[in-house]
Amino acid sequence: MLYREAGDFKTTYRSDQQTFPIKSERFLFWAVIALVALAVPFFINDYLEKAVLIPFLVYAMAALGLNILIGYCGQVSLGTGGFMAVGAYATYKLMTGFEWMPMPVIIILAGFITASVGIVFGLPSLRIKGFYLAVATLASQFFLVWLFNKVPWFYNHSATGQITAPPREFLGFTLTGANAEPYATYLFCLGFVFVFAWVARNLTRGRIGRQWMAIRDMDIAAEIIGVNPLMSKLSAFAVSSFYIGIAGALYFSVWTGAAEVTEAFGIDKSFDVLFMIIIGGLGSILGSLIGAAFIVLLPVLMTNIFARWLGMSTEIAEHMQITIVGVLIIFFLIKEPHGIAALWRTIKEKLRLWPFPH
Amino acid sequence: MTLVDTLPAGQREVLLEVDNISLSFGGVKAISNISFDIRVGEIRAIIGPNGAGKTSMLNVINGFYHPQEGTITFEGVPRKRMRPHHAATHGIARTFQNIALFRGMSTLDNIMTGRGTLMKRNLLWQALWTGPAEAEEIEHREAVEKIIDFLEIQHIRKTPVGRLPYGLQKRVELGRALAAEPRLLLLDEPMAGMNREEKEDMSRFIIDVNTQFGTTIALIEHDMGVVMDLSDRVVVLDYGKKIGDGPPEEVRNNQDVIDAYLGVPHE
Ligand SMILES: Nc1ncnc2c1ncn2[C@@H]1O[C@H](COP(=O)(O)OP(=O)(O)O)[C@@H](O)[C@H]1O
Ligand SMILES: [Mg+2]
Repeated sequence: MLYREAGDFKTTYRSDQQTFPIKSERFLFWAVIALVALAVPFFINDYLEKAVLIPFLVYAMAALGLNILIGYCGQVSLGTGGFMAVGAYATYKLMTGFEWMPMPVIIILAGFITASVGIVFGLPSLRIKGFYLAVATLASQFFLVWLFNKVPWFYNHSATGQITAPPREFLGFTLTGANAEPYATYLFCLGFVFVFAWVARNLTRGRIGRQWMAIRDMDIAAEIIGVNPLMSKLSAFAVSSFYIGIAGALYFSVWTGAAEVTEAFGIDKSFDVLFMIIIGGLGSILGSLIGAAFIVLLPVLMTNIFARWLGMSTEIAEHMQITIVGVLIIFFLIKEPHGIAALWRTIKEKLRLWPFPH
Repeated sequence: MTLVDTLPAGQREVLLEVDNISLSFGGVKAISNISFDIRVGEIRAIIGPNGAGKTSMLNVINGFYHPQEGTITFEGVPRKRMRPHHAATHGIARTFQNIALFRGMSTLDNIMTGRGTLMKRNLLWQALWTGPAEAEEIEHREAVEKIIDFLEIQHIRKTPVGRLPYGLQKRVELGRALAAEPRLLLLDEPMAGMNREEKEDMSRFIIDVNTQFGTTIALIEHDMGVVMDLSDRVVVLDYGKKIGDGPPEEVRNNQDVIDAYLGVPHE
């Protein structure tokens, strides 16, 4: 009786459209939010922050963005790393060029800058799709990395070619630089993920989201019933890049504090985020979060279980981890294209009917 | 009832005028010099053997194919080259010969997508949801629920359309087209592959759409019984040419039409 739907009738369309239509689910959601926002900051430490929580939040942001593009709008992209780089370099230029600018504003602006770059690199999607589009976005990945390497203006002519985040405070909390507080960076990133997961949910449940999905499911029919493919695809590229840009901005400013483009934003980033949404669930907000948690936590668990407890070499643990991810991706692509989120949904449906299975 | 409704179909105002349209794909001439009109409030059947060019004609009407020659005039305005989504925003909706639903979405979402042309709130409002975007969503949900009631598909509202049987998918597709509140509805073989009972249901829906909502309909259909029952006027195509045009009884007795259907060789 954990999961009760009986007696929870919908009498208005408004309540029928809620994100969590079932009361117990709504309760669970707010309980989790209360825990992560109010309790975690009291016991967070450097390790939890830098190895688990911030990576999760940054990748969750990127996965939300990529899922909007691939999972909802059906436009395949391998340019995630490149767009994260745009967010990171935009943040760096804004932080060093406008020292008075508050961090949240910088991060959001970096998102908008990445969105406009995303629109430009989304233009080929109006002509090509599927595999060919993937290749085109791959080209944008390499182009962007090359650009940030090639033009010294982007890294303020620093001798190392690296970008480094100067220390910044917001409302008295140090967010960047060596003295940043774990609880502050955590809450900062959590705020972004909370707000923009909610925004993603809003966008995907209304007209624009349905038009994205229509393009994904059958683009010709979508156009014939009145979906403007140009607006739909480019808005998906814009929104997606906005999220990925913010992920790149947070990655650079509050997580690593310094970055070198080839190393930080290479093609492997693009694949990591792609694997997250495949495993978590294409076309699912929750799936994006689950996928990010999974890919971030897996190496942490693997090192702990295999290297620390079972005494294997870290190298073997690392290989095991790659194998596990590979097997899971094959499994999900073949058996459950909607990922862990869909498995969760199935369990929920079973729970709703439990203990009477019919 | 308005004055228009009481006039016989042939005397009503012209809604769509197809004038001397020719369309070819490479060497294949799909449509040659076809002209006909569709008048306000009528059900206009388009018939002809397979490959006659019927689907191509609908594709021309809603801007998906661009004819090499000829003009289309809709509501008195001659049309320039246009994209299909413009035709949709100008009030032309359609269904497809091969079901073209959005398979990953529920019945409700498919039909809601059909209302996209009537919804105005932009991306920023939608990102916020609470307020205008939600109000708009609810307003359109109410309209869509009326269509769901009309088509008697309440029970499959939340079902992903991929799981529905063929006959119901066809019905959902009609719902999605109706959701746009079109002034011209193009139906491409809405009853193909249906059994007798399903055909009767679909015929009833088509008649009700025509009489209750006053929607003008162009209907491609092979079942002559259905065509005779439903349509006000019939245009007959064969090998991309028009070989007959008029009220159903007249067309049925036309020798060229009989020959085309019996497969009499062309000279
Ligand atoms: N996109 C296309 N490319 C090439 N040929 C086409 C295309 N669409 C239709 N045709 C051809 O045009 C002719 C008419 O087809 P169609 O309009 O589908 O006929 P109907 O709907 O009457 O069965 C056929 O010979 C068909 O092969
Ligand atoms: Mg056809």
